[in-house]
Amino acid sequence: MSGGPPELLRTGLFAATLFVVPVTQAQEATQWLQRAADAARTLDYVGTVSNQHGNRIETSRLAHFNDVGTEYEKLTSLDGPAREVIRLNDQVRCYYNDARVVRVEPRALHNVFPSLLPQQQSTLLEHYTFRKAETARIAGRDTQAYVFEPRDNLRYGHKFWADISSGLLLKARLINEKGDAVEQFAFTDIQIGGRLDRTQFRTVFPPAPADWQVIETPGADVAPHETGWAVKDLPPGFTKVVEGFRTLRGKPDKVAHLVFSDGLVAISVFVEPTPASPQPVGLSQQGGVNVFTRPLNEHLITVLGEAPGSTVRQIAYAVSRR
Amino acid sequence: MGIFQADLGVHGAAGSVEPEEISLLMDGELDGTRVETVCIGLRQSHCVSTWVCYHVIGDALRGPCATRSGFAERFSQRLDSEPTVLAPQRRRTGPAAIALAAAATVAAVSVVGWVALSTMPMPDTAITVARQAALVRAADARRAVDSEYLLAHQEYSPSTGIQGARPYLRAVAASEPDARP
Repeated sequence: MSGGPPELLRTGLFAATLFVVPVTQAQEATQWLQRAADAARTLDYVGTVSNQHGNRIETSRLAHFNDVGTEYEKLTSLDGPAREVIRLNDQVRCYYNDARVVRVEPRALHNVFPSLLPQQQSTLLEHYTFRKAETARIAGRDTQAYVFEPRDNLRYGHKFWADISSGLLLKARLINEKGDAVEQFAFTDIQIGGRLDRTQFRTVFPPAPADWQVIETPGADVAPHETGWAVKDLPPGFTKVVEGFRTLRGKPDKVAHLVFSDGLVAISVFVEPTPASPQPVGLSQQGGVNVFTRPLNEHLITVLGEAPGSTVRQIAYAVSRR
Repeated sequence: MGIFQADLGVHGAAGSVEPEEISLLMDGELDGTRVETVCIGLRQSHCVSTWVCYHVIGDALRGPCATRSGFAERFSQRLDSEPTVLAPQRRRTGPAAIALAAAATVAAVSVVGWVALSTMPMPDTAITVARQAALVRAADARRAVDSEYLLAHQEYSPSTGIQGARPYLRAVAASEPDARP
């Protein structure tokens, strides 16, 4: 034992470094996320992407093209039933070859991340540690890996691999508290930039298949509105992003929808009047998304998000009338 | 107080044993650090009731083991229609996981009978209820996660922002082309 700082002082210093995140590091994390978001929206690319969750792998062909601000995106399933999704800005057309159905959906893609609340930019790293990890070769390209590791057990960890020259994410993994991958997206081959053939963005099906059923969904955006519902004791770092009522296919009544985000993930709370047919309740999982459903008096509460089951469950039990 | 009403509520007290932990213990998947606590918890009568219930429900859900004629044919048909699994991972499908899910369903439909039980369940009642639960669950199994909710959520998910529309489009592609208006 020598002339080091007294024990108490050292403990104090340790505590201080634990909670005061250097501004530069917070900036680095948000700037890096912003670059990935911009790359996904503005670049032209075409490739094969695999989505792995649980014991399943699904492979799709993805093409993205930005023509002076107009975004085209096409996703074609390569295994299972032949399905194709074509997005032109906010309009999404889904071709279900097996059912001979086209669904047309105006969907607002609210890029929540690029508009991170200023408060969240500074608090993001109070709930995650951010670090640059290894470089790796993915889909034949050099990437830099970054890790967001949760500081508590309320969130999943995230690992992203970004193309070094363009910033585009080539691989993304959600990691649970045991270190296991919960869900993973990865390109297995990709061409970024260069001349993309525009015919790649046409559906392989005729534009309006004569004998197909065309189902148009009315605009389903959330109109900001107080719903009368609230969540007490939100997990730290989560802030309300939107609250309102929306009309959803197959639901006779309007559904209250509240979205909370910690900057990296979102958790949705839906409240609907008790449906006529009995619904499964409890915890279920869809890829990296956990869902918890429970009845509350005359209502059914469904909470879902890219967070551990215990977190969505905790939120489901904290929903009440305001 | 019915055992499931008690067991499925919020467990705030420190050191309490969650029904899910009992389920994990039965499937041998409980975190090592919790095993001792949960085993001690099993001395409490309501925990024993849960333990017995999950076993009975699991047995009822598995049903009679005798195979019917044409099993091999049906099996190979079923196998053909399964997606190819390139990297199998462990998934919780142990009997207790199913029992836990069934127990949640039992609570949902408020099956008469549970509420009246305050001690060890009678196996006959448990089996009857479990069968009922299995029926309700089978009817809804295909839409355990409401795809409309998933789609509505993805519109706001930051992962959609940073990965482009990939996760969102995948959710769209995975949804059912049903003709509901």
